[in-house]
Amino acid sequence: MTTATATKPEAPSRPRRLPPPKRKFRPRTLVIAACAWLLAAVFLAPYLEMIVTALRPSDELRDRTYLPSDFEWMNFIDVWKESALADNLRVTLLVAGGATLLVLLVSLPAAYYTARMKYRGRKAFLLLVLVTQMFQPTALLVGLYRQFHQLDMLNSVWTLILTNAAFNLAFAVWILTAYIGSIPVQLEEAAMVDGLNRFGAMTRVTLPLALPGVVTAVIFTFITSWNEFVMGLTLMTEADKQPLTVGINNFIGNYTVQWNYLFAASVVAIVPVIILFAFIERHVVSGLTAGSVK
Amino acid sequence: MNRRVAVTGATALAMALGLTACGGDSGGGSDENTLKLVAADYGDKASNASKKYWNAVAKDFEKQNKDLKVEVDVINWNEIDSKVKTMIQSGNVPDILQTGGYADKVADDLLYKADEVLSPKTRKNFIQTFAKAGEVDGDQYGIPFVSSTRNLFYNKEIFEKAGIKEPPKTWDEVADAAKKIKSSGAADTPYALPLGPEEAQGETMMWELGNGGTYTDASGKYTLDAKANVETFTWLRKNLVEPGLTYSNPASTDRKTAFADFAAGKAGMLNGHPTLIDMAKDGKVDYGVAPIPGKNGPLKSTLGVADWMMAFKDNGKQEQIKKFLDFAFSKKNMLKFDEMYNLMPVTKDTLAEMESSGKHKDLEPFFEALPNAKFYPLGDPAWDVVSAEIKKSGGNAIKENPAKVLGELQKKAEDAAANK
Amino acid sequence: MPDQAPVSPASRSRGPGGRRGAPGRRRGPAGLGPLPWIAPAVLLIFAVVIWPIVELIRTSFLNISIAGVVRGSAGFDKYSKLFDDSSFAGVLIWTVVWTLVVVSATMLISLALAQLFNQRFPGRRIARWALIAPWAASVLMTAVGFKWMLNQTAGVLNTLMLDLGLIDHSKDWLGTPGTAWPWMMVVAVFVSLPFTTYTLLAGLQTIPEDVYEAARIDGAGSWQTYTGITLPMLRPAFLVGVVINLINVFNSFPIIWAMTRGGPGSDTATTTVFMFQLKETDIAESAAMSVVNFGMVVVLVLVFLKVSGWNKEEDA
Repeated sequence: MTTATATKPEAPSRPRRLPPPKRKFRPRTLVIAACAWLLAAVFLAPYLEMIVTALRPSDELRDRTYLPSDFEWMNFIDVWKESALADNLRVTLLVAGGATLLVLLVSLPAAYYTARMKYRGRKAFLLLVLVTQMFQPTALLVGLYRQFHQLDMLNSVWTLILTNAAFNLAFAVWILTAYIGSIPVQLEEAAMVDGLNRFGAMTRVTLPLALPGVVTAVIFTFITSWNEFVMGLTLMTEADKQPLTVGINNFIGNYTVQWNYLFAASVVAIVPVIILFAFIERHVVSGLTAGSVK
Repeated sequence: MNRRVAVTGATALAMALGLTACGGDSGGGSDENTLKLVAADYGDKASNASKKYWNAVAKDFEKQNKDLKVEVDVINWNEIDSKVKTMIQSGNVPDILQTGGYADKVADDLLYKADEVLSPKTRKNFIQTFAKAGEVDGDQYGIPFVSSTRNLFYNKEIFEKAGIKEPPKTWDEVADAAKKIKSSGAADTPYALPLGPEEAQGETMMWELGNGGTYTDASGKYTLDAKANVETFTWLRKNLVEPGLTYSNPASTDRKTAFADFAAGKAGMLNGHPTLIDMAKDGKVDYGVAPIPGKNGPLKSTLGVADWMMAFKDNGKQEQIKKFLDFAFSKKNMLKFDEMYNLMPVTKDTLAEMESSGKHKDLEPFFEALPNAKFYPLGDPAWDVVSAEIKKSGGNAIKENPAKVLGELQKKAEDAAANK
Repeated sequence: MPDQAPVSPASRSRGPGGRRGAPGRRRGPAGLGPLPWIAPAVLLIFAVVIWPIVELIRTSFLNISIAGVVRGSAGFDKYSKLFDDSSFAGVLIWTVVWTLVVVSATMLISLALAQLFNQRFPGRRIARWALIAPWAASVLMTAVGFKWMLNQTAGVLNTLMLDLGLIDHSKDWLGTPGTAWPWMMVVAVFVSLPFTTYTLLAGLQTIPEDVYEAARIDGAGSWQTYTGITLPMLRPAFLVGVVINLINVFNSFPIIWAMTRGGPGSDTATTTVFMFQLKETDIAESAAMSVVNFGMVVVLVLVFLKVSGWNKEEDA
């Protein structure tokens, strides 16, 4: 099974398993489709309820009804005024984008070298990466806060970029090492015979072939950083410098919770990512395929 | 095992440590003409965020004092305590802090005394009960900032539907009224009893006061598991929780839930403070206010709560702080803040203004309760730990074994008191 | 992550680094060896992961006042205070139960989901996309959403169950551990399913069609095919799913924090949440809890290394 992906890492998303057309509308297919569609609805339902709540007028928040008497579309406009949502969104974009870029810059060379070379300390490096993956920032918060205070970097976007990058690095290194490892080294050697140096061979030959793996790493880092909560909560104290996940907490006030605004802001945060996922769904499978079998 | 990795690691670590050293120099020691103010956020959305208020105060102040700058950092109530703690722990101490408690900072000798950072005029302007509540061992450190007192709120419409003539005065009347509300189906929650972590220490004390109990005895020793307090919780369980006259799990119901239910007309009565007035009005609830019922009659002295301002001496900016505090405690600023959140003043001129202006009729029952209000043991440096422990697990006393839960709390309180 | 960890024998013999024919002597630019390639990654890990661990361990041996002032060394006091805490044992037990239940439920359901979504049916792409929603959305927001849906006064799940006649009065599901734990587990499984299902889907894609053809020719039934071919060949992907979920669920914080904050008391806290609760009263005790937590993760890692045969992998 490994060889299958090793030779054509970009292939797995399109299984060559077309069933004969006559089967298409057998009752079995219908049952399967019904189940799948039902499940899909279940998976979307909580987010639909969030949208409905986001559209509730404030005085209908505690009504036991499925839908409000009328939809308060203004909530989606007011929420921008009632909170630091625009700032939060900007911070989240900067952090997710910055961390993703940093992860790529740092993990690609490391993964490439580790996949291609047998060097002293390779095992130690992989162990370090593995251990990193095992720790999540939640467990290290007290330490993280004290450290970044000493560096005088609290409330700096750089802090969140660095921390998010560091905690996502392991996964990127893992998936990229696996992916690059599955690309035959002979391709590069051929290119080098043709006069390219190693760097050229890496960038012109291997990277394009490893693109699905890169896409997977990018998506993972981006989404995880986009949704990160605990570090943002601890390392950013000022409301207009917090990422969205933390920002929405500010709707949970001292005396009241503004559920409608809270969910309006959440919808603003969630919808772009869900749509993004719709476009790259195929890559996710192929990227994971490489990662899981390597 | 592997030299190269060891070298790489060591280099990385050395660089990292080098970074700290550099960072250490720039951190903490801020410019002496810049005051760092950390304050709690009393608002729940951008339009009423305290940041707005403090930015305006800072701007006005900077206009009058061209050489000084004020850096404002407003933090959500849920986070402020732990964030301030970490600030202090890491040496990033603010100059001025406005939050819920002060005594723990006195224990570590972090604060200026009130008379060191307030002009005599400002000091004399404080209402005596509050100035007194700011004392630790006879010296005032805590500078009161806003206050509130607690009263019983009831929904007149629900009471009418249930055939209740007047608000309850004793615990038994509370239970009776709640029963009537329940049987008439006038409200989902007859009595809203929030003993969740948000404000367990407040709700607990309001009930314990009704049975002659408190948190400490005359000498200041904790009495959390006193017989009267165990009785209080036993009564609550038997008469409100078990008959289904309040939430089924008071220990995990937060005050904001109770307030929201009342403001939506879904709770018959509850203990509340002035902020609830606005919420009830917004929800178009026809509410009434009465003294909190005690076991045998309404409380003579109800729970008073104050939030505090304090000045840190770490950065040595005594004169600058004094200028700012005198400015911040002016009638104009105090009035603006109190009216913004419908809270009560701590200074005499502001109180006089609010009582006479006629704009605050609905606060009158709360003003009346001010002179006799009872406070938490605020002057005890261990109180913050005790309060946090009560918030965390005090609500569980409503379940089967109040003596055990309160006993454990008492032990923790004694440990904290011994360790302050 | 667990790079070569869950390797099949096939890949172990020709795993990335183990390429015998590869010119091992060849060096990176300027003959610096691996340094220019891996140093940035190592540096980042040391600066942001290793350093806080050191800081954390140091903090757990300090005596820090409630206001946050360091009052000297505490020795092992904070550890004994932690172990003496009446909630500690319960928290440990629940952490184990939480992790086991959520991970097993996630794996089992994901196996079924992957099988289902691997079939061809009209609208498969959209259905698969819907499946991804809980993964794309922030866990925190999903948990807050569930908390809202379970609200006693106005939660739509309460309303729905009332209307369906499943309950006779609106319940405060999150108010008591007996019902809060199951609901939080449901949410934890809910948010873990997409990633796990996709990992398994990816695993299914790697099983060549001709294996199935052969089985069909041999007259194997679909259940036989599944247990005889699919499951064994899915093992690597399954292991990856187990490991990643173990780590995520064990460390899971936003779900419990958003839904119950670990309360009432610490009755619904896992070690991570308990650590956060302790921060309110004693930051050094909280650090001690973190160190214990850290120790458990290390054990988990060691067990994993042992099971996956990391040491046999290579000897560089």
